[in-house]
Amino acid sequence: MPREKKVEEYDVVIIGGGAAGLTAGIYCGRARLNTLLIEKALVGGLATYTNDIENYPGFPEGATGLGLMELFHKQAKKFGVKFKGTDVKSVELEGPVKTVETFRTTYKAKVVVLAVGGRPRITRAENEEEFLFDKGISFCATCDAAANTGKEVLIVGSGDAAIEEGMFLTKFASKVYVSIMHDEGTMDCNEIARNEALENPKMEFVWNTVVKRFEGDDHLHTVVLEDLKTGNENPIKVDTCFEFIGYVPNTEFLRDIVDMNKQGYILVNDKMETNIEGVYSAGDANEKFLKQVATAVGDGAMAGYCAERYIAETDKYESQILARDQFVYVYDASCPNCQNKLKEIEAMETETDGRISFSKADVYKSRGISNRMGITEFPSIAVVRYGKIIDVITGDFTRQQLERYL
Amino acid sequence: MAEYELDCMGEACPIPLVKAEKKLAELNVGDILIVQIDHSCAMKNVPEWARKEGHNVEIDEVDDGEWEVVIEKMH
Repeated sequence: MPREKKVEEYDVVIIGGGAAGLTAGIYCGRARLNTLLIEKALVGGLATYTNDIENYPGFPEGATGLGLMELFHKQAKKFGVKFKGTDVKSVELEGPVKTVETFRTTYKAKVVVLAVGGRPRITRAENEEEFLFDKGISFCATCDAAANTGKEVLIVGSGDAAIEEGMFLTKFASKVYVSIMHDEGTMDCNEIARNEALENPKMEFVWNTVVKRFEGDDHLHTVVLEDLKTGNENPIKVDTCFEFIGYVPNTEFLRDIVDMNKQGYILVNDKMETNIEGVYSAGDANEKFLKQVATAVGDGAMAGYCAERYIAETDKYESQILARDQFVYVYDASCPNCQNKLKEIEAMETETDGRISFSKADVYKSRGISNRMGITEFPSIAVVRYGKIIDVITGDFTRQQLERYL
Repeated sequence: MAEYELDCMGEACPIPLVKAEKKLAELNVGDILIVQIDHSCAMKNVPEWARKEGHNVEIDEVDDGEWEVVIEKMH
């Protein structure tokens, strides 16, 4: 017997509580939208795994990932965002009311902001879990390079990220081992990086190897590599192992629902709109060039702002456009032809003693309303009857033409 | 499918985790266990353990610094 689920209604449901989701929350909360944020693990997201964040503006002394995200969380709470710590099981995003299912509750919302983030791909070698993030296995050279000054490190991978981050690390570490699964000389990175890396005296390549096992006490001290040809073990003593074997967006549950690229990253436009109306996506799960707290914050702000805009436009559309039988003059105040026609319309209202009257919708600032009406040319007149747009007249119009609708 | 509450207020790690493990073992599949905690470390390790075990988990912050970890026994 299935348990009866609670149903809760919100203006906005944000999925994911990292930097992008929290920022979207701050914007929505501040716009007085009834907002819920759902996070499956720890509020703060991937940034909480980083010890020092030194490049997030506003913190000249640096900040810890956890500390910085606690501030984001506190600020979102201050604006009334509600938090729920659970997994999203499924979503239905089409139509004006979207549903988000968790194991106990069905959430209904006008807008869904996806801020689902991603996770680094891991090697799945023995004992890996014990040393992840702050215990010796890192996924971010920018974050942990300085802490490895004068030390020996190992890099796993041979793509652009692995080799370029590896060369960056040679400025700090005394030696950078690189474990590559291919034959000698073969790398997945671009040719320029490859040649530079091969000439770098601080880099030592260990070909045909994968990680077999991680060893250490409280902190990692040895990575045991396995030679793929001979099966021999090759223990390498290091202070930190950097894994650069890819990144996996947490978008499995959105497959075949929102548009994404082959790797599973969500496709959005510059307003963070997905292919579905009223559904936005922000942060690391988007197809984007730079994944940082600072860029996630930008995405989140845009998604939060556009969510507010979308809801306001929906309300306006329903309460002012569709609520009564009328003509709606849709125009762009910056076009001279629209201005001339506006005068004609006002004259027509006077001539007919208001028998023909118009609502006016200026789309100069945003095309949201006109998009919703399906109007792309200006000026146009939409004829609304019985809560629906029954006709659209674009360009020139006459009084007789309009009178036919009365 | 019953619901049980487990009061772990004022208890530091690892007590809430140990109590939750013991209590959940007594329950039937489909039952719900609500663990009430006010130590932030338990807010991390209790859900982590329950998720690793494959149960459904939800965390509610009921008050500032007070949480309910809701666990549905899955097997």
